[in-house]
This record gives sequence, structure tokens and C-alpha cells, in this order.
Amino acid sequence: MSQRTVDPERSGAAPTEPEDEGDLIGLVPQQVVGPVRQGVAWLDDRAGFSHLLHRVLYEAVPRQGGWAYTLGSATLVLILIQFFSGIFLLLDYVPSVSQAYSSLDFLKTSDPFGAWMRGIHLWGSYTLMFIIGAHALRTFISASYKKPRELNWVTGVFLFFIVLGMAITGAMLPWDQASYWTTTVVTNIPHYIPGIGNGIRTLWRGGNFVGQATLTRSFALHIWVLPVILLGLIGAHIHLLWRHGEHGSWVNYRTRSADPGGEIAERLRNAAAPYPTRGSDPVYSVPSDTVDFFPTQLFKDTVVSAVLVIFIGVMGLISGAPLDGPANAATLTYVPTPEWFYLPLDQLLVFFPLGLVGFGVFVVVGIAATLVIALPFIDRSPERHPIRRPDVLIPALFLIGSVIYLAMLGVNRLYNL
Amino acid sequence: MSERRITRRQFMVRGTGLLGGLITAMVSVPAIGFLLSPLWATTPLLWADVQGGPIDDIPEDKPTARIASIQTETNPPQPPVSRVVYVVKHQGQLYAFSNICTHMQCDVHWDASLDLFECPCHGGLYSITGRNVGGPPPQPLPQWVHRTQVRGGRTYLQVANRLREEI
Amino acid sequence: MPHLFLALTPGPVPGTVITNTVMVGCVALLHVLFATYLIGSTSIVAVSEVVSMVNHDPRHERLARGIVHSWAYLFGTGAAIAIFFVIFVLVGMWGRFFVTFSQFTFWVWFFEALTFVGEIVLLYALYANWDRLGEYRMARLGMTILLNVDQWFQMFFIDVIASQMLTPVVQGKPDNTSYLLQFLNPTNLPLTIHRTFGNVAWAGAVIALTAGFRYLRATRREEAMALAPNTHVEPVRALGAMPDGELVRERNREAAYWDWAGQYAMLFTFVLTIFQIWVGYTYAKEIQLHSLDSWYQMMYGWISNIFLGQFAGLGLLFMAGVAYFWRRIKAAGQPRPARRLQLALIVLFLLWLFGLQPAWWAGSYPDIVAAHLAKPFWDGGVEDPLGFFFPWKVMVLIGEMLVTLFALGTFLRARQRTPMIMGQASRGSQRLLIALGVITCLMMLIMGIIRESSRSPYLVNYSIQINHQVILQKPAPNIPLTQRPIGP
Repeated sequence: MSQRTVDPERSGAAPTEPEDEGDLIGLVPQQVVGPVRQGVAWLDDRAGFSHLLHRVLYEAVPRQGGWAYTLGSATLVLILIQFFSGIFLLLDYVPSVSQAYSSLDFLKTSDPFGAWMRGIHLWGSYTLMFIIGAHALRTFISASYKKPRELNWVTGVFLFFIVLGMAITGAMLPWDQASYWTTTVVTNIPHYIPGIGNGIRTLWRGGNFVGQATLTRSFALHIWVLPVILLGLIGAHIHLLWRHGEHGSWVNYRTRSADPGGEIAERLRNAAAPYPTRGSDPVYSVPSDTVDFFPTQLFKDTVVSAVLVIFIGVMGLISGAPLDGPANAATLTYVPTPEWFYLPLDQLLVFFPLGLVGFGVFVVVGIAATLVIALPFIDRSPERHPIRRPDVLIPALFLIGSVIYLAMLGVNRLYNL
Repeated sequence: MSERRITRRQFMVRGTGLLGGLITAMVSVPAIGFLLSPLWATTPLLWADVQGGPIDDIPEDKPTARIASIQTETNPPQPPVSRVVYVVKHQGQLYAFSNICTHMQCDVHWDASLDLFECPCHGGLYSITGRNVGGPPPQPLPQWVHRTQVRGGRTYLQVANRLREEI
Repeated sequence: MPHLFLALTPGPVPGTVITNTVMVGCVALLHVLFATYLIGSTSIVAVSEVVSMVNHDPRHERLARGIVHSWAYLFGTGAAIAIFFVIFVLVGMWGRFFVTFSQFTFWVWFFEALTFVGEIVLLYALYANWDRLGEYRMARLGMTILLNVDQWFQMFFIDVIASQMLTPVVQGKPDNTSYLLQFLNPTNLPLTIHRTFGNVAWAGAVIALTAGFRYLRATRREEAMALAPNTHVEPVRALGAMPDGELVRERNREAAYWDWAGQYAMLFTFVLTIFQIWVGYTYAKEIQLHSLDSWYQMMYGWISNIFLGQFAGLGLLFMAGVAYFWRRIKAAGQPRPARRLQLALIVLFLLWLFGLQPAWWAGSYPDIVAAHLAKPFWDGGVEDPLGFFFPWKVMVLIGEMLVTLFALGTFLRARQRTPMIMGQASRGSQRLLIALGVITCLMMLIMGIIRESSRSPYLVNYSIQINHQVILQKPAPNIPLTQRPIGP
């Protein structure tokens, strides 16, 4: 605790000295003089970039366990990778039932860099799915969603849902067999909503059958509607993170002295922004030891992101993105299989027959989704250690176990088909 | 001071709200109408020949997959798409099933070893008369709206661009 | 005299098919009870160790130590039964089947046997050095987890065998030598998960039963004194040498510990049994898809009556659990959650009654079709719109899941809001724990009987028959495919 150096810049809102390390001007090498240096200083003065950098980079984060807290920024980097690669795929892709397939087939056969980019987009989505799940799991285990961070969790869950929506609308675009049957199955699901279901299916498909209108709509959802919502939610999520500070986990709030009350009071006195967390239990409002986000935590974040991006790049190159045969509504032999992250839901469809289909799709999944969203409002005790929260740990294990088991059953079923 | 009079400030506050509402309504009406237009779009009844020649030679109790080029969607107009027509003759009845599963609309096929139609997606099963006998499908296998034509002593099948029981 | 002696000498293979079946059933079920307790209780020890390392709760340590000591007795006995089972009953009485079958599942058996080496080493090392290893908690935990993984593989390999018998990889070809296909058998995964949870649930039930008895013993004197205040009550034998005041304190400590242990263990049983409902459903689904005859016998045939017993047992288990919650919360002085639990108990009872309808009440599906009743009830038929696969039973199972989850949540929340003082439990609540243990034991036995009888007349489905114990050239399904009633 005492080793922590309190940076006066962090709390002061006064304009910073241009020579300060870490400021915009500090990034310019000392050897550079004259108009360039003046230009940077002018830009900083007029636009306030240093101020922005301070707001973004110079904040305290918990010292211990930093590697576990890299998953959030890794998720952000992966989403940005998806935006980047997605925009580049638009150089070639045509959202038309007659040309979508051939445009991607062209990439596959004649444009190696385009195929690589498509591979990156696909493997980026796989990795994103995995990392966002790991991030949610980490947040759950460390109980970072507790007061006052309830909305961090809620926006995070909605972000996850939007990413799932992006993944499924993206899978509809290539208009190969896999894509066609994914579109058919997914757009058919809403029709099990009593009363308005048929209407929703018609609106999503732009008709009774899957066709050009369906592809256009999926395309619009994938490149405009969902990304805009996604960006808004990311903004809200990061704003809330800055507002309340990184929570860390129970290891960051242990007291070591014989006088825990005094130790906590001491922490509150010496708290560096954004701590103490407003509205939090005093025990959990200031971590026992903090470091600056920049560069300590950012370095760890960058290491993890770099590993992931290299993985995505390599997999995108060597494995690429598959392309089945062109969409054929008249096939008798094609076995539609979902992407791996939709296997649990797909397997759930096997188990609910006849009049129970809607129950299985909407009630069961809806209850699970509601419970996940409402988690911070269910678990309001001050306890942070998972072992001391059996009332949420057991149901969570139940839910996670069910999802994993369903996925395994799905693999088992497809293998033994 | 009259109670009906409003101050300048109140006028501007309410006026901004009102005009904002007007702007929203101006763009919402066409947007919602455009969004909902597929609901009241009607597709004309279009007939298509089932390919592969006459259906006289199709044996009893042996579902046979034929292809028909059907224009299912006309809003906006699209070229016809090949669809499967399962021609089944059973106990003197003629059926023209689609291979669209009523569960999740996957591609159903006839499995001769089971004597049933089987859906590979979630294991739905239908009998030879299209009855949903196993797995999750909630309804019988739908038939295309169809009619037969006799030309030159041979029977030809025609199907329309809609299913008999809309699923 | 020699003649009488000769007459008493049994033939080369004793007994008939029926006596041999009874023999194999009894020995196998006994073996299963021992083996599953060992596997499940190791998981409970591992969990308790982790919890005690976080919470520094001596009760978890004591429980873990107690379970480890129980292994020493039970593993020896169980191993003796297993050897008797394999060598005498399987090889002696079912020789042709067992030898044939173990030839094409040879490597599975081999690895199965190998896991026993690991189990013996780890289990006895832990038992003999448990207290000494107390200074190396992580090492002890690591060994426990390793033991459990070893035991899990033991169960996994036997599940490969079991699923191969129920749903052969290629029907009519039991001599399939692709071990990959054997491991990926369609019913292997659900069976493994079903048994993984079942083991822990069963071990929890055994511990809860023990705790119930020990609590009753610890509070026997208080009860006797409450019944007849002026009589002299003999101290409990084991604690007899202590002075009276210390005796009461020791008793209270004992009561508090066993009250806690019973509750802790029964929660494993209760929670995992809720999970078992739908894991079991997925298992039944895979059997339906891959061995329809067995599924048919279990759901519609004569075994469905035994299955009804399992259904009843499940309801009774849940009722015992919820009744325990209710009594325990009531004893803790929380009337509102207690009333909710009472309500849950009543709903459970009604669901249980509703589910106790034998399969033949509704007739089989062909019967319904023949009677022109295959239409929804609003059209004058008997078919339920939810489906013709015993819709009311599916509904009862879903209902039981919802009610038990509600009861569990109510109990846990009430317990967390007002910390429960251990040792206050009523004696009735502990009798409910004993009942829970007995019901779980019966369910284990019934499930074994159902599973093993469902293949009749086969030993290995579609290939080795009970009467012949030989491999048939062609599979001969019981029911012609066209007449099979296939439900969803």
C-alpha cells in the first residue's frame, strides 16, 4: 500500500505540463524540435487530447490479478477486429441470392488476401464468442456485478446477446448451404410465439419463404442495425467501468493487518481515482493495492490481445472460412448443423416435441436469460468469494453445466447421425 | 393573470416537444408501413410443372422426390427456385408433399429402412401419409397445392406456389 | 451315503436362467451401491476440502476425514463383491456371453482394470496418511481430485461397456472392433453424466442417512427426558465416562455437527436429483433413437410398471427433501418460508399423484389409433396436444423441477437471511433424512433393474440372447418397424 506512488496529475483537473511523460507531447521524441513540436502542442491545446488521454489511461486499477482482468479489453479489441475485417469484406460481397455465393467463392478461389480477411472475420467471431464467455464467467466468479456495478453486468449481458445476434445474422450472409439452412431454421423460430409469431416470421423473411428479401434484411441487421446498438452499448459499458472503477475480485480487498477497520479507513483516505467506488460497501470500495492502468494493465491487456489476434490471423490464414455448395432449397441429403456456439440451443429443440416447442424455445431459454440479466438484483449480499455465495453458485453451475452438457449432446447427436 | 396564458419559456419547451414529436411521426409512419408491408403483400397463385415426366410410373408406397421450379416469392419478384415435391401414392391417394419439416423447416427425406420420412435436423419423423409420428414436429408434413393433368394418356402433376396447410 | 453326497453336488453350471439372472442382479446391484458411493463421496470430500480451505470451517474437515475413513471399510468389501461378481457370476454363470463380449471390448476392460491400480494406491495412501497430510492441504486436495478423476474414468469405461450393450454401435454387429465408435456410443455421454451426478447424489444420501442416525443418537437423552422428566436416563454408551455437564456439551456439539452434516449432504442429493430429471430424459431420448425396442419396453412394456416405481420414488425423494426443508426452517423459527415450503410440499404431492398413472391406462399408441381416438381432447379424442409420449408425465417432471427449484431457493435464501443455528433440528426432520437415504437406495436398485431388464430377450441388444448366449447372424427386432409406435 505504502509503495503506491500517488500521481498528483491523476486527481488534478488542471491543464498538464506539456513536458509530462505520458502526455501527447511526451510521445514526441526529444530530438524533434521546431514546427512539429509546436504543432503537436497547438493541437493538444485546441483539442484537449492530453485531457482525454488522462481520462482514458491514467486511472487506478487493482494491482493483483491483472492477467485475469485482461479479458474485457480483449473483447473490445476482438470486436474492433470484427468491424475492421467486416468493412473490408464489403469490398467484394454482394448481398444477392444470385451473387452472394459467387462473390465469396471468388475470394476463396482467386483472392488469397480476401480469403484471409474472411478467415479472420470468422475466426475472430469464434474467438470473440469464447473470450466474451470467459469474461462473463470471470465477472461472475469475482462478483464484480455487485452494487454499484449492476448496470455494468446488465449492459454486458445485452452486449453478449447482440454479439450472438451478429453471429447468427453473419452466418446467414454467404448463401451457401449452411447459410441458407441456418437462415431457414432461425427465421422460422419466431413463428412459435403464440399469436404474432407468424407475422414476425413473415416480416423477418419479407415473405412466407426464405428469399432475396430475407438476405437483404439479414444483411441490414448485420452491418447496420446491430453494430449501431453494439457501439452504443460498448460506450455505455465503458462509461460505467470508468464511473465505478475496475472491481477486480476478492483477492484485491483482503486485509492483512490485525486491525481491518483501520486498514480500510486508511485505504479510503489514500484512494486514487476512480476509487473509492461510489455507493459500494466500504470494504469493497478501494482495492488494497492499485497500479496505473497505463502502462501496467494496458501492457498485460495488449499481450493478451496480441496473442488472440495472432491466433485469429494464423487460423484465418491456414484454416480460413468454409464455403459449402451454393444454397439449394431442393436438397434431400444436406444435414443442417449450427455453429458450435448455437449447439446448446439447437439441441434444446430436439427435446421439446409438438406443442412444447414454443415452451422450450421461449419459456425455458427466456427464464434462463432473465435470470442471467437479473443476477445483480438477485445476489445482493456483500459476499464476493464464490464459495461464500452458494445460493448463486449452485444455480450458476446448474446453468453452465446444462449449456455444456447440451453442447456435448449436440456433438454426440451429430456424430452418431 | 389569466390561467390559460403560458409564458414564453413554456411555449418554447412545449413547442420543441411537439415539433420533435411531429418529426418522429413524419419519419415513423412510412418506416413502420414499409416494415410491415410484407404482412399484407399477396402472392398470386402460380402453377409449375413437376419435372421428370409423367407420374404414372411412380410405384405405390414408394415416395419419389421430384423437382419443381416454383416462384414462391413475388414481393419483390424473384426468379423461381427449385423445390422438392415428394410424390406419394398410398392406398389409392395421391400426395404431393413438400420436404419442409414443420418443426424448423429443414429438408426432410424418405428413409426406406425406417419406412418413414426423416428430418436430419432434430430427428422429426413422418409416416407415408405425412402424419408426424415422432420427434419434435408439431404438425403433419405439408403438401403443395397440386392438380393433375392428363395429356396424351399420361398423368402430369402441377404444383402451386403455396402449401396446402400454411405452416 | 455316497449317493446322497453325489446328489447334492451341483452340476457344472448351477441353476437355471432365472436363478442365474437373480444371482447376477443381486450381486451387480450390491456391487453398484458400493462402487457409486466411493466415487460420489470422493467428489464430496474434494468439495468439502475446497470449502474448508476457504472458510476454515472445521466441520468440513471432520466430514471429509469421516468419509475417507469409511472408504477403507467399503472399498475392501466392494472389491471383494466385484471380484465375486466378475469371476464367479459372470464367468461361471454367463460364461459364453461374457467371454464373447469381453473379446470385442477387450481394451475397454483392460483400461478399466488399470484404473483400479490407481484407485487402490491413492485411496489407501489418503486413508493412511489423511491427518499427516493435513499440513499439505493442496497436496491432499490434489490427491483427492486425482483419485476422483481415476474413479471417474473407471465409471466411464464401464459406461462404454454398458452403452455398448444397450445401443450397439452397429446393430447386429457386436463384434465391432472400432474402439473410437465404442467410446463415442450415442448413449455413453448421457449415461456417463447421469451416473456422475447419480453417484454424488447417492453418496450424499448415504451421508445424510448416517447423519440422521447420529443426530437421533445424540439427542436421544434429551428426547427421553422431555417425555418423562423425572426418570433417570442412562448416558449414551460411547460418551459414558464423562461428567454430566461435559456430556451435555459434548452431545450438543455432536448434535450440531450431525445436524449440519445431514443438511450439507442432503443438499447434494437434492440439487443433483433435480438435474437428474432432464439428464435422464436426454438419456431416454438417446435410447429411443438408437434402441427403440428397449425404449418401448421401458416406456410401454412390462418394465414400465417398474419404471412407475422409479417415478414414485423420485416424487417421494423430493417430498422427503422438501419436508425436511420445511421442518428444519420451522425449527429455526422462520414461519413465512416454512409456509411456502409447506405449499411446495402440497403441490409436489399433487403432482406425484397425477404422475402415478401406469402406461397401460392410456393404452399403447396403436390402440389409440385403432380406436379412432388419435385426436385432441377437444375433438373428442384422448390425445393430449402436448404429445403422445406420456404428456402428463413430462408435465409432472417439469412441474417437479420447478417446484423443487422453488423450494430449494426458498430454503437457501431463508438460511442465508437468518443464519441457521445447528443442533436445533427436530428429530422428525432427521427421520426424513433417513427416509431420503432409503428412497435413494431403492431408486438406485430399481434403476439398475429397469436398465438391465430393458434389453430382454437380449444380453447385448440385437446380438446375444439370454437363452442362447450365442451370437445370432441376423438382428431380430421384437416389433416390426412399421408397427412401432414412435412417440416424440
